[in-house]
Amino acid sequence: MRPSRALTNPANTRRASVPSRGYLAPILAALAALILPGCRTGAPPLDFPPGAQVLHLAERDDVPTLDPAIGYDTASWTFEQMIFDTLVRYSDTGVDLVPDAAISWEASPDARTFTFHLRRDVRFSTGRTVAAADFKYAIERVLRPATNSKGMEYFRALIGAEDFAAGRAGSVAGIETPDPWTIIFRLTGPDPIFVHKLAMPFAAAIPPEAVNRWGDDFFKHVVGSGPFMLREWIGGQRLVLARNPYYFIKGLPRLDAIVEQIGVDNELEWLKFEAGDIDVSAIPPAEFAYVMKTPRLKALTLRIVTLATDYLGMNCLMQPFTDVRVRRAFNYAIDRRKLIAVLNGRGVVAHGVLPPGLPGYDPGLEGYSYDPAKARLLLEEAGVGGNFAPQLWIRADQTEMILAQSIQQDLALVGVHVVIKPVAWPPLLDAVRQPNTAEIFLFGWEADFPDPANFLDVLFSRQQWGANNDTFYYDPRVDALLVEAAPQSNLERRYLLYRDAEQIIVRDAPWVFLYNPVTCVIRQPWVHDYVLNPMRPARLEKVWLSPHRDKE
Amino acid sequence: MKLRLNPMEAAGAAMVLSLVVVAAFAPILAPHDPTRAIATTFGDPGAPSRAFPLGTDELGRDVLSRIIYGARISLTVGVAAMVVTMTIGVAIGLLSGFFGGAVDFLLMRFTDVMLTLPALLLAMAFVAVLRPSLLSILLMIGLVSWTGVARVVRAETLTMTQRDFVLAARALGAPPSRLILRHVLPNVTPIIVVMAVLGTSGTLLLDAGLSFLGLGVPPPIPSWGRMIEEATMYFRTAPWLAAFPGIAILYAVLSFNLLGYGYLRRRSRGSALNAP
Repeated sequence: MRPSRALTNPANTRRASVPSRGYLAPILAALAALILPGCRTGAPPLDFPPGAQVLHLAERDDVPTLDPAIGYDTASWTFEQMIFDTLVRYSDTGVDLVPDAAISWEASPDARTFTFHLRRDVRFSTGRTVAAADFKYAIERVLRPATNSKGMEYFRALIGAEDFAAGRAGSVAGIETPDPWTIIFRLTGPDPIFVHKLAMPFAAAIPPEAVNRWGDDFFKHVVGSGPFMLREWIGGQRLVLARNPYYFIKGLPRLDAIVEQIGVDNELEWLKFEAGDIDVSAIPPAEFAYVMKTPRLKALTLRIVTLATDYLGMNCLMQPFTDVRVRRAFNYAIDRRKLIAVLNGRGVVAHGVLPPGLPGYDPGLEGYSYDPAKARLLLEEAGVGGNFAPQLWIRADQTEMILAQSIQQDLALVGVHVVIKPVAWPPLLDAVRQPNTAEIFLFGWEADFPDPANFLDVLFSRQQWGANNDTFYYDPRVDALLVEAAPQSNLERRYLLYRDAEQIIVRDAPWVFLYNPVTCVIRQPWVHDYVLNPMRPARLEKVWLSPHRDKE
Repeated sequence: MKLRLNPMEAAGAAMVLSLVVVAAFAPILAPHDPTRAIATTFGDPGAPSRAFPLGTDELGRDVLSRIIYGARISLTVGVAAMVVTMTIGVAIGLLSGFFGGAVDFLLMRFTDVMLTLPALLLAMAFVAVLRPSLLSILLMIGLVSWTGVARVVRAETLTMTQRDFVLAARALGAPPSRLILRHVLPNVTPIIVVMAVLGTSGTLLLDAGLSFLGLGVPPPIPSWGRMIEEATMYFRTAPWLAAFPGIAILYAVLSFNLLGYGYLRRRSRGSALNAP
């Protein structure tokens, strides 16, 4: 699985997250801006008929791609999920799967075979009807090494996928299309969460004829069957989507077009929002406190607890964090409510690993309370003296720095004098993957799939040492529970096993379980039915605008 | 001989003295520990009040105490960096001006190269490579701000070496080291003092700039530059949070400038009167 931080919105700069397009993209963009100064001349003005419903957005960086096989970041997915249809998708506000291009689906009891029945009225924006073969083609394209898709690993468990990827087979044997309206997936092993993988844009239907026509340029001439279609994309300037007249749900989308202005940094985006030029905006950190203190603006904000957990990782291989008493002491010593107050409420207290809203979340888990006296006692028992000064690694960022200072304050009260070490994101990622480098560090994890495995397996199993298990935690009981739970398709049983594993992990405390971050955006009063999803960018097909002063 | 200060100098001296007192007696003067949360204004800085005359910051710390302790860092870095600056600048200036020729050419071209690099940028690069700490910061500030001093000292030295008393000493067979240390240096000292005092405000400002960019003295040690940087997040709801450390920086810079310019004025008037 991917380090799930891939999906974090770069607008939410406070997260300890992988900036969605990697750190190279901004550098390349800056270089391009230096080399190609002439390319920034104004785009021709857009004209829409009077009364057209046009949603205006703005973003600093260009959308990396619109090719569903390539995009793996918030900016790309925002538009990809509007241009393309997958077999299933998440509901507007939750992480439950609902039909999209499929009417219904069945999974075999052994969780190895999945059968989907397609709608017959789904059409690409060219007018051609979408058939099962278009889905098969899309997944095969993802598996083809030449495509260089980050989604490849999600479909490797299909029977014949390895042969296909190696060029030994002309098609994937594990994807069958007995008729145009049925598609069957067969896996080499049980995978109860396979359907979730089909809800990623990687598995969206694409027309082979369009890919063949445009070749490497397909990413900017994409054709899909979603509620919107690409109308114009002027690199570095703007992206315009228009409604797909063939969209299969009558009356949707409600908007006529979506215009995203590119090259608008956070502060400018905010000014444009205040001027009414932009309909939905992120809130820059420097404005957050102001927005929350201004009732008129606060009423326009939307917030949602994301499927993520931010934590203070403690390296279980490094002294004195090898001692569980020290790790527990840290959990008692750090005041999470204070951290959340410092964040102006952009988080909820975490009691364990799994965020609320994730299926399998254990509401009964107590976790640790703020109890500095207990922390002092535990540190004393462990023999940690007053000159203990661990290095706290954080991403160099204004908000992270304030959070780190809050933690530094709390730990000073129990006699631990933390040295804050702010570094750039790539070296931080390197450091936590070394067994003997970062003693403690601020980090976070965001779900790829709404399933406990996506947290517990990825972050705490022995085989993830040097990868995502950044605390180098190991407990044989936990590993055994994880192995037992992974293929379990009886959800009740599955979640019970994960619950047991999580309880052991919380007791062993390789993390200080800090908080589950909250995402906030602000929208204009004339924007309706814009709702946030805890795991995906907001969908836009139901959004509508009431009459308002329009510019230009 | 009676030392008579002009008003500008007197004001500057008093202000510098007040800074030194505040820095030296910070633990006595500060009402609170500058690093601890003594209010619960987390994420919502508290306005100035009777209990906290300058308010409390987003981590519940007393701003007044932080500013008092911040004076220590600012003064230490400002003065120590100035010592480094002066040591390098005066040495290069003296050597260059006294020996002339190839030595002068090499040293001055090196100075020119250093001058082309913006001091703040260079200091940022240095500090980013080394780890930010008190020592590395004052060394780096010193290493990037000596160029002006070197040029001025060189010019003064050049004129000194042409004076008769130097010529006389040379004729008596004094070695270069004695000429430089006993005859040239004492006569360029006044200009060095002026540059040092005026330069302190420059290094102070550079330190604040580095702290503002997150490259200053690491927390929890309070520094004025970092206080302003942290306050930017609350600029619209708690503008005083940025204003008070800003005023502190203004005060410190102004005090050294007044002292320096006052001294310069007295000296230039004096020398004009005493001109042969």
